[in-house]
Amino acid sequence: MKSLSLTLRRFLATVLLLPALAFAQAVPGKPAPDFNVPDATGKIHSLADYKGEWLVLEWFNKDCPYVKKHYGSGNMQSLQATYTAKGVKWLTIISSAEGKQGYLTPEQALKEAENHKLASSAPFLLDPSGTVGRAYDAKTTPHMFIINPEGVVVYAGAIDDNDSANPAVIPQSSNYVAAALDEVLAGKPVTTVSSKPYGCTVKY
Amino acid sequence: MPYQVHQDPDTSFTDAPHAVYARVIIRLIFALSLAAFLMPAFSRAAEELVSDHVRISWLAPQSFAADPAAQNATLGIYFEPEPGWHVYWRNPGDSGSAPRFTFSSVNATTGDILWPYPARLPIAHLVNLGYEAEVAYLFKLGVDPLDMRQASSNPRGVQLEVELEWLVCKEECIPGWGTLSLNRSIRGDNHRWEPETKALVDRFYERIPRPDTQSPWRAVCAYWADSGILTLKLEPSDDKARPDSLPLPDAFPLDGAFFNPAMPELIRTENAVELKFATSPGAKLPAEVDFVLVVDGHAWAMNNLPLHRGAFSDAQPLALGLLLLSAFVGGLILNLMPCVFPVLSIKLFALINTPGEGRAQVRHRLREGISYSAGVLATFALLGILFLALRAGGAAIGWGFQLQSPQVVLGLVLLFWLMGLSFLGSFEFGHSLMQAAGKANTRSSFVTGVLAVFVAAPCTGPFMGTALGAAASMPAISAMVIFLGLGLGLAAPFMLLAASPRLAALLPKPGVWMERLRQFLAFPLFATVLWLLWVLGHLTGESGWVLGGGMLLVIAFALWLGKAGKPFWRRAAWLIALASLVWIFVQIGQAQHAESGPTSGDQWQAYDGESIRKARAEGQGVFIDFTAAWCITCQVNKKLVLDSRAANDWFETNQVLRVRADWTRYDPEITQALAAFGRNSVPLYVYYPADGSQPVILPQLLSVEMIRSLAAR
Repeated sequence: MKSLSLTLRRFLATVLLLPALAFAQAVPGKPAPDFNVPDATGKIHSLADYKGEWLVLEWFNKDCPYVKKHYGSGNMQSLQATYTAKGVKWLTIISSAEGKQGYLTPEQALKEAENHKLASSAPFLLDPSGTVGRAYDAKTTPHMFIINPEGVVVYAGAIDDNDSANPAVIPQSSNYVAAALDEVLAGKPVTTVSSKPYGCTVKY
Repeated sequence: MPYQVHQDPDTSFTDAPHAVYARVIIRLIFALSLAAFLMPAFSRAAEELVSDHVRISWLAPQSFAADPAAQNATLGIYFEPEPGWHVYWRNPGDSGSAPRFTFSSVNATTGDILWPYPARLPIAHLVNLGYEAEVAYLFKLGVDPLDMRQASSNPRGVQLEVELEWLVCKEECIPGWGTLSLNRSIRGDNHRWEPETKALVDRFYERIPRPDTQSPWRAVCAYWADSGILTLKLEPSDDKARPDSLPLPDAFPLDGAFFNPAMPELIRTENAVELKFATSPGAKLPAEVDFVLVVDGHAWAMNNLPLHRGAFSDAQPLALGLLLLSAFVGGLILNLMPCVFPVLSIKLFALINTPGEGRAQVRHRLREGISYSAGVLATFALLGILFLALRAGGAAIGWGFQLQSPQVVLGLVLLFWLMGLSFLGSFEFGHSLMQAAGKANTRSSFVTGVLAVFVAAPCTGPFMGTALGAAASMPAISAMVIFLGLGLGLAAPFMLLAASPRLAALLPKPGVWMERLRQFLAFPLFATVLWLLWVLGHLTGESGWVLGGGMLLVIAFALWLGKAGKPFWRRAAWLIALASLVWIFVQIGQAQHAESGPTSGDQWQAYDGESIRKARAEGQGVFIDFTAAWCITCQVNKKLVLDSRAANDWFETNQVLRVRADWTRYDPEITQALAAFGRNSVPLYVYYPADGSQPVILPQLLSVEMIRSLAAR
């Protein structure tokens, strides 16, 4: 009797299972999640502000060895300078929560932007609540996204193909972000649209 | 205009000679500190490295065998992280990095690194794959034959060096570099080991994947569906073994770019188990996948499994037949749903009342049946095409989500209220509408078919849900088969009655009973209204009930007023009805969202990531119930299991924090939490044990025993 009722209930519940709605995430080929976040000077940036422009989002944590790899070597700043000179917008975002590694107050962030010779389109965007980071499902620092002028993600993943923390490997690495930006600026589709991001966990 | 903060360091000093020295010294200090900064853990070659938060040493014999017949030795590179710190597996998971090894050797040849199977380490909402305690990365070493060694400076010794790069993490990560070196003599018949060292090597060797021919489970297939879920299906290797007699398997994917490292969901079927892995959206589909299968502390390598897209092709013909059958049965059941049955009955009355006699009547009924079936099938085919088009467009579709919109729910309340009133006979317009639908002519039969599918929507949600859930992960043809199967099932009983004169002869004679039955059928419709109002209440709180109920009142009043017959009053009734409908629909859109989840006095807390983290940090067990008002399975589990006295006692005794994550309305935080478990639907039941070990995901059908058995974990 008990097993019958269990079977019956199992049958009923199987039949009655209701799957439901999917979720937003930054996925290549899909519209990028909107954001609304201040930079270190207090100016608000939202996705809509960058409509009609190519936009790069980069996740940052000053104490992460992988961020140090790309900033200590000057690799990241040179990418920022190269592509902003070509009209691409570049935003560097900090999603570390207050009290966690890499969290910066606006004043500290301005100072770090100077120390790091940041060449992005704005001083650091500050997202201590992690709202933007979670919306994009940013997993590591650095985690890179490229968004086209229509607001669609065209690349999501690592900065390059070598997940070593050693800056010495940078010259031999193949840079996914540079490759994708060169392709889109030449009017070509992106060859590698997704890769596994590497680095430190974003400190939500 | 890019934001620039470059500053030329040379402008900070004057050009006085002492300032030049100062500049040189400062630059020197800067360069040195930068070097120290970038290479925090650089160490000189030695047999042991002591670095930040980790100690690294060889696991090697004291001497290697000189006998050429001796087997290759298994050596290890032993990492001992400090408590709380971890190092990584070959696929590190969401973040982190696997250690790298570059060997160079004299008089010996080294093989590839053998990776002990890892553990899943939750880091915030991410998952890493690695080792939280000490681990030995193993490798084989073969001593070169004597004639080859003669060429070297010391033919009686082995020299080995490994350049290491590693990452050791807690919350933060520290990379390290260094070289380990080893010199050992070659003598005697055997490799000579210190027993403790050998025991350590053997301990980790147990965790190295073996060839999968010896595995208790064998892979049947791996397939990936558009929903992003990859299913690895496993059967017992021994045909005579029953799946429930074997310890359950776990599996770790090697490909970190394609797989989400979160724990796969395990589903038992009659003679197999299925492991369902979430995959990275947008990642390129590999042709083959590799796993390390772990059963009861042992690991097996499952390499180069061909990855199928959609359902597994070899199994398809049978599956498709079964699918059609179950869809057909599902369709048959639809006829009995409280929304469909009344509509169908009216149609049946029309059939009983078919004019004419003998052959003419038979032909007429047949025509009726065919056009009704055509209406049903055409509607299902259209829904199927719509579904496939949306799926191709990348939208993830679930059934039930439409009930997350209060306007849609209110619209359905209105529809069923009107139908119910018309069945009772108090509603002329609807009565005539139903008569039109019930009238015996081909066009109206087609319309009834279409109507039957549409009015069925809310009641059939659950059935469609299962079908759609299955269809979401299938190739287009199979998905279409499901839709048409449902349609055939829905159309079949009426078609049968219409087509078979013998069956039709069994139909009762027309009479007063028909009117009585129709009136009676209004009540299932009112019950549907009640259920929808309850859903509305969950969506919008108290105001939902009031607005919904108000709408019913106004509509009933307008109908009564319209019955007066005078054109003025009829127009006034229309006006009142329309104006209030517009107002109510606007209001419900703006209605304050109900406070989600638990009511006061409830033992269940509303979902809040922070309090869950806190409870876990304090060593409290946490049980999360991901649920929604419109999810019937969730409600069944809640009533029969979660809110039962037995479960309540268990939660109390074990001081478990109970969290109810209510997804009745869209909620980004809960959606995120669901996604972290690779889900996009409810129900989901998660238990975090008090000891901080891996979260347990319970089946979607709960029992009190399952809750009790959590204690044993």
